[in-house]
Amino acid sequence: MNISKIRQIMIEDNIIFSFSGMISQDVVDFLIQGISKQLENDGNDKTTVRSMFTITIEMLQNIMSYSNSKVIENGTNYSSDGIVVIGFNEEKQKYYVVSSNEINPEDKEKLINKIDLVNSLDSQELRKLLRDKLRSAEDKHDRGAGVGFIEMAKRSTEKLEYRFEEINGKVYFYFKAFI
Amino acid sequence: MNNLLIEKTTDTPLIDFNIESGIFKIEGKSYPENTFEIYAPIKEWLKNYFEETTNTKTIINIELVYLNSSSLKAYFDMFDIFEKAHENGHELEINWYYESDDDIMEETGEDFADDFADLNITLHTID
Repeated sequence: MNISKIRQIMIEDNIIFSFSGMISQDVVDFLIQGISKQLENDGNDKTTVRSMFTITIEMLQNIMSYSNSKVIENGTNYSSDGIVVIGFNEEKQKYYVVSSNEINPEDKEKLINKIDLVNSLDSQELRKLLRDKLRSAEDKHDRGAGVGFIEMAKRSTEKLEYRFEEINGKVYFYFKAFI
Repeated sequence: MNNLLIEKTTDTPLIDFNIESGIFKIEGKSYPENTFEIYAPIKEWLKNYFEETTNTKTIINIELVYLNSSSLKAYFDMFDIFEKAHENGHELEINWYYESDDDIMEETGEDFADDFADLNITLHTID
């Protein structure tokens, strides 16, 4: 394998952080601390670091929740492979977080509905939806209260982007948020 | 019953509920994966405390710098327990601390104060 190709891509696309592999909570803890430190060292304000923190955690924990195959080893949940990349978009002068992971095709509709809903709301409507959801919490998908996308939409400076890709009969969920 | 003391970890806060002083402290970040399992025993402890305590007043100091979405629900449930305790005659003083430039935690505190309007919740900034 040619690692300089990967380096070349990272330089060209202004990628500051990338991860590919099985995701567990240990990986989340490790990545999130590394990313926060790096953004702080690069002189970013606290709001940017906090927004990055929120979006990256929700994204990673989403991958764990919606992952198609899960491995449980010594009590630790590992999701199927996910890719998470953080970069800086020169044109917009904004950081972005993007992820791709295999999902259960049955979850596709659920994801579309959740993201389309939060994308259609402004910040006050998102705040209200969050409160309504917390009060009722009828959505008990896995361990979350079904409010992860609301949190990401609140912290993102643009609409959340997503698409689904089918590769060799598997469905991959591609997701991107700007900070 | 015994005091509840749970040390903070990378993704869970310090929980320090002291029965003798009637001062409860929650401090740190909360973004565990298994939020429900983490908070279920804490909620259970709180319910027992409010059933058994002879304290006339309980002070709850919450200083959280970050809550993930599933933790938000856990805290909402805890405020529910506080509200029931209040309805049953317990005097509660709840202090919500947030960093002065942290809009997100300020908003979260405001929402809790609005949603649980009968509770005595005060927001404080820390620098």
